[in-house]
Amino acid sequence: MLLLPSAAEGQGTAITHALTSASSVCQVEPVGRWFEAFVKRRNRNASTSFQELEDKKELSEESEDEELQLEEFPMLKTLDPKDWKNQDHYAVLGLGHVRYTATQRQIKAAHKAMVLKHHPDKRKAAGEPIKEGDNDYFTCITKAYEMLSDPVKRRAFNSVDPTFDNSVPSKSEAKDNFFQVFSPVFERNSRWSNKKNVPKLGDMNSSFEDVDAFYSFWYNFDSWREFSYLDEEEKEKAECRDERKWIEKQNRATRAQRKKEEMNRIRTLVDNAYSCDPRIKKFKEEEKAKKEAEKKAKAEARRKEQEAKEKQRQAELEAVRLAKEKEEEEVRQQALLAKKEKDIQKKAIKKERQKLRNSCKSWNHFSDNEADRVKMMEEVEKLCDRLELASLQGLNEILASSTREVGKAALEKQIEEVNEQMRREKEEADARMRQASKNAEKSTGGSGSGSKNWSEDDLQLLIKAVNLFPAGTNSRWEVIANYMNIHSSSGVKRTAKDVISKAKSLQKLDPHQKDDINKKAFDKFKKEHGVASQADSAAPSERFEGPCIDSTPWTTEEQKLLEQALKTYPVNTPERWEKIAEAVPGRTKKDCMRRYKELVEMVKAKKAAQEQVLNASRARK
Amino acid sequence: MAAIGVHLGCTSACVAVYKDGRADVVANDAGDRVTPAIVAYSEREQVVGLAAKQSRIRHVSSTVVKVKQILGRSSADPQAQKYISESKCLVIEKNGKLRYEIDTGEETKLVNPEDVARLIFSKMKETAHSVLGSDANDVVVTVPFDFGEKQKSALGEAAGAAGFNVLRLIHEPSAALLAYGIGQDHPTGKSNVLVFKLGGTSLSLSVMEVNSGMYRVLSTNTSDNIGGAHFTDTLAQYLASEFQRLFKHDVRGNARAMMKLMNSAEVAKHSLSTLGSANCFVDSLYEGQDFDCNVSRARFELLCSPLFNKCTEAIRELLRQTGFTADDINKVVLCGGSSRIPKLQQLIKDLFPAVDLLNSIPPDEVIPIGAAIEAGILVGKESTSGDDSVMIECSAKDILVKGVDESGADRFTVLFPSGTPLPARRQHTLQAPGRVSSVCLELYESEGKNSAKEEAKFAQVVLQDLDKKENGLRDILAVLTMKRDGSLQVTCTDQDTGKCEAITVEVAS
Repeated sequence: MLLLPSAAEGQGTAITHALTSASSVCQVEPVGRWFEAFVKRRNRNASTSFQELEDKKELSEESEDEELQLEEFPMLKTLDPKDWKNQDHYAVLGLGHVRYTATQRQIKAAHKAMVLKHHPDKRKAAGEPIKEGDNDYFTCITKAYEMLSDPVKRRAFNSVDPTFDNSVPSKSEAKDNFFQVFSPVFERNSRWSNKKNVPKLGDMNSSFEDVDAFYSFWYNFDSWREFSYLDEEEKEKAECRDERKWIEKQNRATRAQRKKEEMNRIRTLVDNAYSCDPRIKKFKEEEKAKKEAEKKAKAEARRKEQEAKEKQRQAELEAVRLAKEKEEEEVRQQALLAKKEKDIQKKAIKKERQKLRNSCKSWNHFSDNEADRVKMMEEVEKLCDRLELASLQGLNEILASSTREVGKAALEKQIEEVNEQMRREKEEADARMRQASKNAEKSTGGSGSGSKNWSEDDLQLLIKAVNLFPAGTNSRWEVIANYMNIHSSSGVKRTAKDVISKAKSLQKLDPHQKDDINKKAFDKFKKEHGVASQADSAAPSERFEGPCIDSTPWTTEEQKLLEQALKTYPVNTPERWEKIAEAVPGRTKKDCMRRYKELVEMVKAKKAAQEQVLNASRARK
Repeated sequence: MAAIGVHLGCTSACVAVYKDGRADVVANDAGDRVTPAIVAYSEREQVVGLAAKQSRIRHVSSTVVKVKQILGRSSADPQAQKYISESKCLVIEKNGKLRYEIDTGEETKLVNPEDVARLIFSKMKETAHSVLGSDANDVVVTVPFDFGEKQKSALGEAAGAAGFNVLRLIHEPSAALLAYGIGQDHPTGKSNVLVFKLGGTSLSLSVMEVNSGMYRVLSTNTSDNIGGAHFTDTLAQYLASEFQRLFKHDVRGNARAMMKLMNSAEVAKHSLSTLGSANCFVDSLYEGQDFDCNVSRARFELLCSPLFNKCTEAIRELLRQTGFTADDINKVVLCGGSSRIPKLQQLIKDLFPAVDLLNSIPPDEVIPIGAAIEAGILVGKESTSGDDSVMIECSAKDILVKGVDESGADRFTVLFPSGTPLPARRQHTLQAPGRVSSVCLELYESEGKNSAKEEAKFAQVVLQDLDKKENGLRDILAVLTMKRDGSLQVTCTDQDTGKCEAITVEVAS
């Protein structure tokens, strides 16, 4: 049990020092109804307890100016109660100086004071004449209190307060003294706001955020002003429901119209202010300047970058050029050197040749008779032409150092060698030429010589067989040979080797000749089948030509893709071929179908042929 | 309005509904109030719950367990790595996200952890709809306190994908407090609560401060190396050694036999919480040999005593970390199925002799019930944007008043506790002897502990010239109001005369 002590002598209410620590921020768990209540309170931006506190403060303030001075309305006694709508209710109650800021309590008090003073009974007692019925001006007081004591009606009256200045300053007015002109206007109009804490216009030094908040507030101004007070018809006057409805409709329309006008007014006001506001201009300029500066900086950076790039590129080019030059220089030097050497060699050879000739001459060409000498000279010339520098030198040395006989022998030996060499070369060339001609003959006359036992039919059959059994078929050439033997009409038995050689020779044939053969085949076919219809004859030939003159051959990869696609889309798949074509890139649906048919045929034929081979081998066993 | 609270744990999930002012757990279609959080994948269907758990003996690699541990984690996370290494399912990384690769026999499926959670949530929704009808989808889901943003969002998305309208994700310890309504009836008090949650795989302890009906986590501690599974494992190991003793076969290497033993041990463990002894019986455990064994509660407690020690040690450690003694804790809330173990409850009671142990709600249902209560609070509210405003101002220090007790010694009473969310007002009726004509309230500020030094005195309020009363006491009404910035207004009123004194104390800048 805790008891409070009593105060010591002279002890009074006092604060010794301020609290040492401010509130700390903590994380709380978002659960429970108290949390919800707290958040709700906070989102309303006021706590209940503080609302109460503030209310209390207000109350105390009110009680302070309880003895509010009432202003006597001089025209009061001349008022016409019938015209109550046009009277100033605040003035009537003597509250003309406080107007919309008057509290309920003040209004009540004022009314009380007025009643005490102006009630007909009071005045009667004072000996004043009273008008009969409702015509006394006291009715105006009652009416005024009626209007002001009801918050809804009071709001309606406040909305159309006759003393309110609805004017909106024009742009030209605010040219020089923007703040002086607009500040009171905004102040004035802020009373219509539904939200409290209307932002102030501020001054030249307001921050951008403040100005922004100000204008966004005013552009989204939420006004409580309404114009029901100005209704021309009174709902209460209506006699029946329909009339009431009609009146309501009329009133609503006019109110909406007025509200719209009001909104336009506010809008105009804000627009005017915004366009005149020197701060906005300033901000815009700043923004512009900033952008400009950024742009400049960017451009500068880009320029610098470009320059750097240019420089680098030039440096690179320079380097490349230098390297090239150096290379060229080297090549030139080398060429020069080589030329020099060549020159030297040439000169040496020339010298040697001269020497040889001279020595030969000095030896009188190793012969006495003229014809021999001429022949010898020819031979020596030949030697000079063909011999290398070294052998020439050697020869010269021998000639110079030895006697005539030895020299002659050496020379003759050399001549013989040269002759031998020349002969050999010539033979080789001959052989080569012969070979070439033989080849040519072979290639041109190959078919001719082959045609002895390869008839036109057989050739066709061979081509067909080769196409039917493509490379990779099991014991391909044997199968082909077997196929040929079975289908050939000539009755000539052919081995696999024959077939291979023929096929190779056929491969060497130029396409022209191949075409020729095909054409011949076609002609023959036509002959055999007489006047078969064009379409009929076209089909088989097309099929025959199809695989070998296909627009683009199927690569192994495409083949694989096709096989995969055939597997993934079984026969009963709807739109099977479209899907397959999709799966094989670069191939149309038609291509795929054709290829598939070919493959089927091929496989069938292959199977048949292989079976035959098998049968044959079995029979052989 | 009906609302749902769901708790998805590592091993099991539980759903409660809030209806007609009451929150209650709903039993699933099998009649169990808690559903194992296990999903089994087969060729054409997914099975959630008990059936999946039972079939796990045969389909280890296609049954996902403990999905919560991997939910919302990346492969770089050590927790996730640990999980991957322990998981019997294949976990791979694809496109930077972890996926289960589940072989269902025919084909291999890639499954998101979120997808697994979604299936469990769907099951929970189905269960809740069995009592609510199918149009109630508003749900509050609980998450562990140590869940990161990614994990929270993954869990929330999984719940959303299951068709729930997630009102809010709340922390498990807060839900536990809410289930017992701590601080909800008289919101002015302040107390500290220890939440002891021993789940299937982890032990998480939190010390919560309850002030003005709002909860704050003071400190928390989670250890993964103790949980219900470890108790089961200990018991299973014992059973295996018992089997070896009887039949000379070591079944520890046989995964399937061990899993059978684990299931049997789990059943035995559950019954040991209520019975003195339990029977373990496994048909054809190994090579056709049946296994039958009785385990007494004493035996179980002996086996698990190292685990119990770990629990108590963790509590002590947390108190040390918070700077509290056992006396500072006013309440202990038990949650998680394993806190049913009688020995454990006994140990906690021994640790906190003066504290009431809250275990009236089945511990594995505490959290979903709390979630359901929260859902009941939130449902029907237009906006639930409370998630980002969880940072609030609180008073930093206790405000105390000095008085004397009967013996004449100085005593302090807390008028305005620290940690009170601001703004706040506290009202106290203090008493003073009636025979003196003046009263003095001396106000002190201090950080905890009901005492203050003389220099901590910051103000005094004196009421003079009061009517003297020969006998009895006079009532002094003291109202303290603190604003968000921490400034304090004190008003004292004598109830008899109506004399009033008020001061406002600002915060030193």
